[in-house]
Amino acid sequence: MTQRLQDIAASSIASWIPVAILAALPFIVGGSWTFTLGLCFANSIGVLAVSFLVRYGGEVSIGHTFFTALGAYAVGVLDTRFGLSLWASVPLALVLGVSLGIAFAWPSRNLHGIYLAVTTLALALAVPEMINNLDWITGGYEGLYVSTPLVPGVEMGLQRYYLGLAMLVAVAAAVARFRLSRQGMTLLLAKTHPAAADAFGTRRVWARIAVMGISGGIGALCGATLAFSGSTVSPGGFTFWQAIFLLVGSVVSFYGLSLFRVLIGGAFVTLVPQLLSASGAWIPVFYGLSLLGMILLGHYLPRIQKTLARRKGGA
Amino acid sequence: MDQLTNTLRGDGIALSFGGIKVLKGLDVEFRAGEITGLIGPNGAGKTSLFNCLTGAYRPQHGSITYAGTSLDGLPPAARASKGIVRSFQHVALCPDLSVRENVMIGVARNYSAGWASAFLPLSAGRKERQDMATAADRVLADLGLADSADLMPSELPPGTQRLVEIARAIVGKPSVLLLDEPAAGLNNSETRDLMKVLRKLASTDLVLVVVEHDMDLVMSICDRIYVLNFGEFVAVGTPEEVRGNEDVVRIYLGSDDDE
Repeated sequence: MTQRLQDIAASSIASWIPVAILAALPFIVGGSWTFTLGLCFANSIGVLAVSFLVRYGGEVSIGHTFFTALGAYAVGVLDTRFGLSLWASVPLALVLGVSLGIAFAWPSRNLHGIYLAVTTLALALAVPEMINNLDWITGGYEGLYVSTPLVPGVEMGLQRYYLGLAMLVAVAAAVARFRLSRQGMTLLLAKTHPAAADAFGTRRVWARIAVMGISGGIGALCGATLAFSGSTVSPGGFTFWQAIFLLVGSVVSFYGLSLFRVLIGGAFVTLVPQLLSASGAWIPVFYGLSLLGMILLGHYLPRIQKTLARRKGGA
Repeated sequence: MDQLTNTLRGDGIALSFGGIKVLKGLDVEFRAGEITGLIGPNGAGKTSLFNCLTGAYRPQHGSITYAGTSLDGLPPAARASKGIVRSFQHVALCPDLSVRENVMIGVARNYSAGWASAFLPLSAGRKERQDMATAADRVLADLGLADSADLMPSELPPGTQRLVEIARAIVGKPSVLLLDEPAAGLNNSETRDLMKVLRKLASTDLVLVVVEHDMDLVMSICDRIYVLNFGEFVAVGTPEEVRGNEDVVRIYLGSDDDE
């Protein structure tokens, strides 16, 4: 027990070190990096939403831009049409994400694997068209500009950065706490042994709906953060490819739910395309190679670490 | 409490898959205060009967009642909320949870802290987890597994995993406990410990049914035994009566003529 508590304490400290470094970054790096990192934090939340579905539901989504769009437009519409800040729009985004996650999960509750994944694809394909057709409220192709400050009087660039960081830390902490809860444990059992979960009072249908609702809610929080940190909301941010990139980020982070893991996924989704932007037509090739490199590194890293530790021990 | 009040009854339970009749109109009565054994060769229908009693299967005919209340049509989770729980023939522990957490799931149905407590650092959620952990630790200690509480199931030998599953089944103080081959994979010492635990569990509040192939265990702890073969009961009675039943000896235990 003592060893386990020590491990938990060490893990907690390890999580706070990157947070402290990221909190200090705006005072070290330039404005463009601050902006990009704000987007990275938002995308990390999106990666977390997809990974949550994998870890707790055993399912894959290629349509989570549906939920990120919900959150982003909740922020954009309340900001531009009603002048309301995130204090009002983030709760709305969360409610919309959870509600529509549940609404999606109910009819698809008996679908699994590739069938569910393709169903989520339908969501992803529908999103940009829905946004364009509802242009009277979404602004259509032109999109919306989010300018209402969260804290009046504080420089907006810093707000956009720190809001992203705070949201990421809060969501990652909430998900870490959820893992220890009664509901979290029963959902994990329902994923691996649905019959056993049923036998102990957790209906598998309830489990499926709950996981999709939570994942949708986290996805909407990703969108809300993207809208504020990125300052604009437009259909181009919620395409099918964006949904694929969130899944790629989840895979690169090995479906991890810790702050560090989702930051890796979010950084891959946000930073790699930017770093490769000067490569012209080679961008897809280099992106693919980067993806392959990350997967292989993640796969072989534990073995490499073991080998190095053995050599160190033998020396 | 009246022994007959807390009785799990099945009347005329019939179950078929396609054209194969798995259970052929069984009448059963599992009484509180007794340990009832359910034995029979592989494929006799023992686990199918458990599945009908717990709601995993819906029999085509017959009805099931507990304490005079019909369970027909209730899904497994609703039956679990009435305290009807089971263990599984194949160990069904969650590999992502520690031993303690797996056992905590067995008592989860007795708690109700809300969703906010699941995500936020609220006292209701902390207290719930603490209470569940305390209950799990108590049962693990009773089964001699206190040292394994922080391990993951994959770190335990198969026999110990089965004991963890039994701990999960009994931690919530069930009113009906159906154990499917609880001694499978246990060594002699573990089986003896299990027998002690089962005897200790037997009370007037609990309907305890054990499906088991270990005849020493069945004959020494059970008050009454049902013998099932090809979906039909061939004998019902005390261990002595079953042991002396010629049909049982011929069909299940084997006879000199078969050699």
